[in-house]
Amino acid sequence: MRKLVWTLVGLLAFSTLSMAQQTFPRNGAYDERPGRYAFINATVVVDPQTTLEKGTLLIENGKIVEVGPSVRIPKGTFTIDLQGKFIYPSLLELDSDYGMPETKSEARGRGRSAQQMESSKKGAFGWNQAIQPEMQAAILFTPDTKKSADLRKNGWGTALVHPHDGIVRGTGAVVTLADEPANAVLLRAQASAHFSLDKGTSTQTYPGSLMGSVALLRQAYYDAEWFAKGGKAIETNLSLEAFNQIKSLPSFFETTDKLGILRAADIGKEFGVKYIIKSGGDEFQRIEEVKATGASLIVPLVFPATPDVEDPWDAELVTVAELKRWEMAPGNPAALAKAGIPFALTSQGLKNKADFWTNLRKAIDYGLSKEKALEAITLTPARFAAMEDQLGSLKKGKLANFLITSGDLFSADNIIYENWIQGKKHVVNDLNAPDLRGTYDFSVKGLSPMSLKITGKLNKPEYQLILNDTIKITPKTSVSGELITLSFQPDKKTPGTVRLTGWLKGKNLLGEGELSDGTPASWTATFKEALVAETTAAKKAETTSEMGTLLFPFVGLGNETKPVSETILIKNATVWTNEAEGIVQNTDVLVQNGKISKLGKSLAAPGGARVIDGTGKHLTNGIIDEHSHIALLAVNESAQSSTAEVRMSDVINSEDINIYRQLAGGVTTSQLLHGSANSIGGQSAVIKLKWGEAPANLLMPEAKYIKFALGENVKQSNWGDIARVRFPQTRMGVEQVFFDHFIRAKEYSDSWKAYNALKNKATATAPRRDLELDALAEILNKERFITCHSYVQSEINMLMKVADSLNFKVNTFTHILEGYKVADKMASHGVGASTFADWWAYKMEVKEAIPYNAALMAREGVVVSINSDDAEMARRLNQEAAKTVQFGGISEEDAWKMVTLNPAKLLHLDSRLGSVKAGKDADLVLWNNHPLSIYARPDFTMIEGAIYFDYEADQKKQEKLAQERSQLIQKALSSKAGGASTARPEGRIPRMWHCEDMSGFDSVHSHD
Amino acid sequence: MKKIIFGLLALCGLQAQAQNPAPALPQAKSIVLTGATIHVGNGQVIANGVVAFDKGIITAIGGPATTVDRTNAEVIDLSGKHIFPGIIAMGSTIGIQEIASVRATLDFEEIGDMNPHVRALIAYNTDSEVIPTLRSSGILLAQAVPQGGFISGSSSVFNTDGWNWEDAVLKKDDGIWLSWPAYLSRSFNYDDYSITVKKNEKRADIIATFETFFADAKAYADVENPSPVNLRLAAMKGLFAGTQNLYVRADYAKDILEAVKFAQKFGIKKVVISGGSEALKVADFLKENQVSVVLGALHRLPGRQDDDVYAVYELPAKLHKAGVKVAISYDDEWWRVRNLPFQAGSATAFGTMTSEEALAFLTLNPAQIMGIDAQVGSLEKGKQATLLVSKGDLLDMRGNVVEHAFIKGAKINLDDKQKRLYQKYKEKYGQE
Repeated sequence: MRKLVWTLVGLLAFSTLSMAQQTFPRNGAYDERPGRYAFINATVVVDPQTTLEKGTLLIENGKIVEVGPSVRIPKGTFTIDLQGKFIYPSLLELDSDYGMPETKSEARGRGRSAQQMESSKKGAFGWNQAIQPEMQAAILFTPDTKKSADLRKNGWGTALVHPHDGIVRGTGAVVTLADEPANAVLLRAQASAHFSLDKGTSTQTYPGSLMGSVALLRQAYYDAEWFAKGGKAIETNLSLEAFNQIKSLPSFFETTDKLGILRAADIGKEFGVKYIIKSGGDEFQRIEEVKATGASLIVPLVFPATPDVEDPWDAELVTVAELKRWEMAPGNPAALAKAGIPFALTSQGLKNKADFWTNLRKAIDYGLSKEKALEAITLTPARFAAMEDQLGSLKKGKLANFLITSGDLFSADNIIYENWIQGKKHVVNDLNAPDLRGTYDFSVKGLSPMSLKITGKLNKPEYQLILNDTIKITPKTSVSGELITLSFQPDKKTPGTVRLTGWLKGKNLLGEGELSDGTPASWTATFKEALVAETTAAKKAETTSEMGTLLFPFVGLGNETKPVSETILIKNATVWTNEAEGIVQNTDVLVQNGKISKLGKSLAAPGGARVIDGTGKHLTNGIIDEHSHIALLAVNESAQSSTAEVRMSDVINSEDINIYRQLAGGVTTSQLLHGSANSIGGQSAVIKLKWGEAPANLLMPEAKYIKFALGENVKQSNWGDIARVRFPQTRMGVEQVFFDHFIRAKEYSDSWKAYNALKNKATATAPRRDLELDALAEILNKERFITCHSYVQSEINMLMKVADSLNFKVNTFTHILEGYKVADKMASHGVGASTFADWWAYKMEVKEAIPYNAALMAREGVVVSINSDDAEMARRLNQEAAKTVQFGGISEEDAWKMVTLNPAKLLHLDSRLGSVKAGKDADLVLWNNHPLSIYARPDFTMIEGAIYFDYEADQKKQEKLAQERSQLIQKALSSKAGGASTARPEGRIPRMWHCEDMSGFDSVHSHD
Repeated sequence: MKKIIFGLLALCGLQAQAQNPAPALPQAKSIVLTGATIHVGNGQVIANGVVAFDKGIITAIGGPATTVDRTNAEVIDLSGKHIFPGIIAMGSTIGIQEIASVRATLDFEEIGDMNPHVRALIAYNTDSEVIPTLRSSGILLAQAVPQGGFISGSSSVFNTDGWNWEDAVLKKDDGIWLSWPAYLSRSFNYDDYSITVKKNEKRADIIATFETFFADAKAYADVENPSPVNLRLAAMKGLFAGTQNLYVRADYAKDILEAVKFAQKFGIKKVVISGGSEALKVADFLKENQVSVVLGALHRLPGRQDDDVYAVYELPAKLHKAGVKVAISYDDEWWRVRNLPFQAGSATAFGTMTSEEALAFLTLNPAQIMGIDAQVGSLEKGKQATLLVSKGDLLDMRGNVVEHAFIKGAKINLDDKQKRLYQKYKEKYGQE
């Protein structure tokens, strides 16, 4: 009877471990064992806050039974004395592909390939290959003994694994790294849900851009919701069904950089999900914004290698931002801890897993506390994976997953002896290996006396025999427990090896052997003195002492502090008001609280105001670029003829140096447009160029625009014969794309109206939320406005007719190079024009483009702006405006409006922007010369009263930058000299986008 | 029948209207321009100046007191206007491309790496509709340059008016164009569409092929009647004889040094650097070796993230002050070259020099570099009367309105396709 009870208890205890195996037949006698061990006299680190000196850990059946200073050890327990040793909970890796099938990403070929419009995945799944909620790590999982051994060796005991493939990646599984079959190590099957914005191995063309990925993921959430609420009666969709099942799991989102974190958090906010976000390790650069998202992070410990700047030619490739990142990145975990952002650390991205410890120690040197470090590799990951009940600390009832180490886990000479997983021992280093390190008197009968020096690490000792100052021999040695063998060649010149075997006796070694001629010889090594520990103080000095400062954004020409609104009085300037007063001389302008507060003569400066002398200078509004592609990470989502669902606001790159360069050209506001690859492009982002702020602070969300396009790009005329798949291929087809989409949008809008009008919604199924049709319906409802890329008169006319027939207006035609041919029709439709000053001849549809276009249209009553579509041209849009004077004789005052007031009107922002008038935003430029002149440049450019460009400060900034650069190069040189691994410099130039760029294949001259 | 004939006539009429204006007839009568500010092109300015020319050649130039023979001369009073020498566009594809996306109109790039024998000369299309638009911004001389490969071919210099290439050409085959392999190469990343810049691993191999090619060409040039005949090597002869320039496209400082040393090694006397973004770093070397630099358009972005935002604009003045002969081109462009005068404007705005010094980057300096300064490049007695009259400062959009232009004294018709379309639609809308 007693025996029976015991068995039952055993069964219960084995609940996770052996129940899975209960159904398996045994080959031979049953071999169940209780696995009852007690570890005594150890320093037990129970969790980051609790350490027991001389503690006892009692485990049984793979679980912790008891841990404490005095634990009653039951009979039948094998006791291990760990005097002087440490016990730590083992590590949990959250971002692992351990045991997952290899994801083979098909290299995207050079050149364009034919479009794949539909999914190639077989089965009743969703429409897009990158959305795979049905994927299950638990089903794909196969233990890999080689990889698990490598992970165990470095201290990991468990991992949350998932296939790193696609935008929705299905569920992850928690597995232990024990050397056992899958059934035994799989702790939880549907442990987590995984997301990213990387389409992975999907061969489908959509999404072809980052903003496309965002739109697709958002749509998947909405589709799943619709599916749950009634859609399942309409269609079978295993993907959506699976999506609804995984939504409630802990959700992990993989990103690659600081802006990615903000982007993922935004998506989460929309759907009420707090993602645990895998970061890129650069979040220290935007720590406030990251903190504000409230997200938890999984942070890689990958630090940039020292840039190899030894060759001065090569060194020029390295940017100050890269040098600074190299300098500051090891401080990233400390910065996160300081900011109070919850984070776990991951080894993902490290080729050599042992580097994890090297880098973690570095992070500690840079200010991360050991408690935080331990938390980030044990308790926090367990909490993130909702596995706290089983993992993360050495509490009673949790799995017996722990490490036995020689000392402090984070010290450089720590040795992991054993890694116990689910109560099973995995030996990493021999726990009982004696510490032989020291100096010995070594004598072999028949040879001259020598001394034996054993140095190196405890688990990797190095041996040297010293005969005298000049003769030093490295013997071949092997140690096993207390047994040792040595063989060496006493005289390098004469062949012949002395071969010895021996054992440890007290602190001495002795044994037998034979000389090279076969003479038997006994030997002894008498312990003389212990190894003197090397100091690590010198190493510490290089790290944290002279750290540079952060920059906003994190590029060489960034700001040390973000500019703030000031009270500013500009005295005695020539002011281009863009109002009825026209250009007024000797006028003062007062700026307060981000607004223009007063214009007049001899205004008094309020206390604390910055006074700027404008004598001989010109004060104007900041330039507004109606058509820009700067500060974007992508520009075209060209996979479909309509991609109204994509938003440029998802891909704003606040770190683009072109923002600063354009401030230096007087630009303060830009409309970041989608490209012109398809008839209906994405939603624009109108931004203010607040250099230093994060994307959300640049955006003006009230400006709701969308890009349309006509002509050669949307019909893919210049992309070669491979681009003959997508509809439309002619201007005839383009018209029908518009009709088709708008009619669908109208039906969609009507169905929502009908649904919203229902008294009893409970019995009805809501229409499926469609992000694409949402945007198009907004156009029909006059809540969103079109900026349409256009060239020839026929298509311009066509779109106006389409709009007329559907009772809305086209807001703006951009490029509009043949607008002059239908200027009368445009004026009566009420559409504006945003054009180039003088572009032509780069393709067929611009062969009749003329620089008089702006003048002809303006005189017909069309609101005309001059835009850039080009990061270079945008920094001298004042000169482009001047060309309307040169060609077509527009007055200078009106020419100036074409880059300020008129684009403000086209963007419906003229109540805030576009003229120098009390109450409007203080987005102002003080020019050193007539603003339309080639000789003009800004002295100051301000946005909302904050000075973002100051010519004199810029000159000083340049000097400081050069200084910092040379200091960092010196630092990198000494780091290399100190033995740090280095990387050959590689410059990376982000793409300069134009609206035709699909994938970088635009020919040299085809611009626009 | 009558109707058909009428129809045909109408068609002809229309067609005639859509054609470029006829090239100017040779100067028949002496012309005297008075009262204008004359920008000589060599750094000098003459207020209220007089310039007289006959049979295409300047016969007198100077201040208001200059004595000129006005008998039978057409005297034009240009008070308040500005006279400039014809602007010279180096390094362009003017006349050898028309519409970038239409392959049939592109005649600037051949197959193969080493093509010194292909000549822009014979492809230069005087009937290009782009060319008349350039004259209206002051471009009266253009160097048409083959592109592509390592040795792209030979360039020629043209007047931007003429019936055919023989008629338009001012200097045939003035130089051979070599693209030096860049120290840093760029490769495209298909994942994020960015460009990686790193050390060009193929560079040494390419330079080795140059060594062989130039050695063979030099040996070939030594033989009076070489057999077998090799067109490529034969085309290189002028480089060793000193009758042709070697234009080397190089931007990085290291490339510039290496290319010049390479040319010197082969006894090539006239080396010109085209591009030269980093020329300032080796300015002393360039000065010492008397190597001129043809910079690209200033209206471009700085090359590196950390560069001074105005670095590109400041370069010409700095290089000039360091004693290097500078010309400014508008890269290998064609229609955009009409913005060439503004490049000198920007160079003035961001440099410590006068706009007259900057003007020389577009006039006298390119003429000297190409060896045509005896004929053009500045307004001096005995030189060709290739000049223009602008309403204001030619280097600034606010003043660049070309009212008259003369090439070799012949009065140019300043009409162009764009002006005709302007006129057509002004009439449609009744604008004026």
